[in-house]
Amino acid sequence: MKGGRRGAIPATVLVLVLLPLMLMPLGAVFVFALRGGVGAFWKVLRSPDAQFAMRFSLSIAFGTAAVNAVLGTFAAYVLSKYRFFGRKSLGVVVNLPVAIPTVVVGTSLLLLWGPIGWLGKILDPAGIHPMFAPAGILLAHVFVTFPYMVGAVRPLLEELEESYEEAAYTIGASRWQTFRFVVLPALRAGLLSGILLTFAHSLGEFGATVMVSGNLRLRTQTAPLYIFAQFEAGKIAEANAVAAVLALLSFAIFFVLLTERGARRPDGRTAA
Amino acid sequence: MAAPMTNPDDERPGGPTFGRPGAPGRRRAAVAVALGAALLLWALWPFLFRRGSRAPRTIVFYGFSILGEAMNDGIFPAFQARWKERTGETVEFAGAFAGSGTVTNQVLLGVPAELALVALDLDARRIADAGRTRPESWRSLPHAGVVNRTPVVILVRPGNPKGIRDFADLARPGIRIVHPDPQTSGGALWAILAEYGAGERSRPGGGRDFLLGIWRNVVAQASSARGARTQFENGFGDALITYEQEAVWDRSRGRLPFEVVYPRATVLSEHTLVVLDRNVPAGRRALVDAFTAFLWSGEAQRIFVRYGFRSVDERWNAGTSAFGAIAEPFGVDAFGGWPRAKREIVDRVWRDDVLKAARP
Repeated sequence: MKGGRRGAIPATVLVLVLLPLMLMPLGAVFVFALRGGVGAFWKVLRSPDAQFAMRFSLSIAFGTAAVNAVLGTFAAYVLSKYRFFGRKSLGVVVNLPVAIPTVVVGTSLLLLWGPIGWLGKILDPAGIHPMFAPAGILLAHVFVTFPYMVGAVRPLLEELEESYEEAAYTIGASRWQTFRFVVLPALRAGLLSGILLTFAHSLGEFGATVMVSGNLRLRTQTAPLYIFAQFEAGKIAEANAVAAVLALLSFAIFFVLLTERGARRPDGRTAA
Repeated sequence: MAAPMTNPDDERPGGPTFGRPGAPGRRRAAVAVALGAALLLWALWPFLFRRGSRAPRTIVFYGFSILGEAMNDGIFPAFQARWKERTGETVEFAGAFAGSGTVTNQVLLGVPAELALVALDLDARRIADAGRTRPESWRSLPHAGVVNRTPVVILVRPGNPKGIRDFADLARPGIRIVHPDPQTSGGALWAILAEYGAGERSRPGGGRDFLLGIWRNVVAQASSARGARTQFENGFGDALITYEQEAVWDRSRGRLPFEVVYPRATVLSEHTLVVLDRNVPAGRRALVDAFTAFLWSGEAQRIFVRYGFRSVDERWNAGTSAFGAIAEPFGVDAFGGWPRAKREIVDRVWRDDVLKAARP
């Protein structure tokens, strides 16, 4: 690429600094995962508990990404295109989950939706118990990952010039058509990175999940909870086998994210 | 960033396809989407076809930390086999294991547990106080609800390099102790009782001194007995105060990396089963009752002994050489039961006095 200088020395320094900070700890996961041999590693991954935990985590991550793709884009659209009282405060609030400890998120959800919470008390007689169930985990993940979608889409929306939308209206496009054919294509890169970030974060979410899941194996135990439970029980190989899979998956996600971001210039071609 | 309406390269009609920038990008996007869809399908596969009446009935069991292997690998499979023999039905277990206090808090917050095996009857009382079961309902179970026992002991590094022989030695300066956290771990509460009781037995008023000496030296606290053991196993500290079960179970598999020190006087912890009637649907009542009764059967008690617990029935303990001798064992009755012991020893002596003196 243009403008790059040859940088063998700074690159070496960077790698040396990152070695104890990131690279070696990540490497340790794989070393400990494979210490018993590939056969043992595979056996752990084939165990019902690990299988369930990974599939369950992935399902929740897909669900979270789907919900926030819609909800986050909607929030970003409202926040950037409309002027209303409290817009700034609302903009701050939707970003809060980045700063709030995730354990607090879990606790607050429990205190609202749990059997002793305001909403929980109303739902309880109807036999609806969202906490300690997949629904509760989804709620927690939607909360915790909400800022990623908004953060990825909002800047694109704000840079999108009004004149395109106005032009669309002038030639008779409806509000929906304008959004679908003018706004949405311009947001493609943002949507992709928002969805991938949400997905990756949901896959690794621990703090809020541990509060709301009930941690039941084969029912509500996500992959990070499985890893923690195995590690606490001293089963380091089991913990690291699943950890290695999560690490590889995250690597793949960010690889796609970063290469897409680098390769793709915003080519918001209008479809028809 | 503004979206150009057209990409000039795309406008070239009939040009050579390999030169079009959109094509490889689109192919890569298609591959990514296909991979994502495959991942989604793999993730959802087991959940897609699980509905229907053929789904096996499940017992939801919450237990304190060290029960994990004994239940998952021992008791659950044994009951599954017995139940299958008797009724032909396959029953499944969903279990969660954490510090006894954590389990109790989860039950109070409404996890769908049908049975909870807590590390001390104090936690059972908290569950009853919150209205999750009838007060003292566990007393109508065999052995007043106590499923198994295990004494509190000290684990030290191989060769016992610090020469630790009893609780008194743990108070020496420079000993680093790993202790579970009394806020969430039942084992930690039993340990406090053991430390205090051993002190009182050495001389009147010695309980507070023992506690103070030991808690000055605590360098790490984990949320459960099992968590504390993992910390110790990872190299923290010179001594770990924990259940004998941990050591016996490890030794039986030939992988005990520590030595066990049996104090002259120590407490024998008792673990209480609570049936959470409100969470047991009528259709599962008989199943849950059968499993509850099974826990006190000879078969289940022998499994507990195999996993390092002491049976409530002395017959099963007699045949085992794995359990060490304790000169002066005592129970919580020596302190007037758990509610009183919690108030007078854990709260008044340990929390309000010792903890403040140990870390001023």
